[in-house]
Amino acid sequence: MDEDERARLAEFVGSRTPALMRVAYLLTGDRNAAEDLFQSALARTIPKWGTIRHADPEGYLRVVMYREQISWWRRLRRWRETPLNPADEPVGGDPSGGSDVRLAMRAALRHLPPTQRAVVVLRYYEDLPEARVAELLGCSVGTVRSRTHRAVKRLRDLLPDVDMLEVRR
Amino acid sequence: MTEPFEHLIRSTLTDLAEEAPIVHDQLSRAERRVRNRRRATVAVGAVGTLAAILIATPLALAATGSDGPPPAVPSPAGPAAVPSPPEPTPSAPTAVPTVEPSPGGAPGDPSITPGPPGVPGRPTVTPSPATPPGPPGVPGRPTVSPTPTTPLGPPGVPGRPIVTPSPSR
Repeated sequence: MDEDERARLAEFVGSRTPALMRVAYLLTGDRNAAEDLFQSALARTIPKWGTIRHADPEGYLRVVMYREQISWWRRLRRWRETPLNPADEPVGGDPSGGSDVRLAMRAALRHLPPTQRAVVVLRYYEDLPEARVAELLGCSVGTVRSRTHRAVKRLRDLLPDVDMLEVRR
Repeated sequence: MTEPFEHLIRSTLTDLAEEAPIVHDQLSRAERRVRNRRRATVAVGAVGTLAAILIATPLALAATGSDGPPPAVPSPAGPAAVPSPPEPTPSAPTAVPTVEPSPGGAPGDPSITPGPPGVPGRPTVTPSPATPPGPPGVPGRPTVSPTPTTPLGPPGVPGRPIVTPSPSR
């Protein structure tokens, strides 16, 4: 890689790192894991930079991140370290209203398996249609639908007082 | 009720994304990771090649370096134990001239045990159809014609093993 291409790569990384780190953090739910995921995806993208720099390098990097997150090998490695965050603690009553539900939702999101969590992030944070999500994750639209359905059902199960949402909002 | 719940998911994900860590200098770390990965790939490949050579070399030497001849392979045509009549060999020139027809059917040496007809030595005899074989014990005419291609033995050397049937028996 010559100096010109490296300067373009540095500019791309510098400009897109915050947005990509947000996605990585949503996918992993952990700061260190998010940084590791982003670096890993970037390390896989750098050797391909000469061929993808004229196309869509950010799209390539995002796809690498999504697939890396749900890969089987990475899941094995992640099981060795289970971070304990304050959000995992049981949530008590919140007189201000609504905050406890959000905290409970954050805790519930952490309990989703990586595949369901990736689908939730792509559908509800990136606002991508099901076909695009299926294309990014390398699966069928039916798989995306079933994973979304299971993820939402599990979130409902983890939030027992979800019936009070409309009242609280 | 799905709509408020999905709205809760979106808002929670947006809140979470704002907490993403701010990282710097990800490019140099990713490049270092690329170098390490490439180095590890080369090292693993070299070790694998070396291991393959170390394993395959003794096996190849053992397969090709044996001094003795390989054991005979049984003929697939069938067992060789089937007795087959000995093929007459026309290379017995000594047998031919020893046939001395005893005129008058004089008995030969009684000490000589007569052998069965067709003992080696006979095949060189080409029976002439004009001279039918005489009665048992009476040797036929000396229609024996030595094969011209076969060198004759020294004249007068009697062939011992050739049995002349005794005319008296």
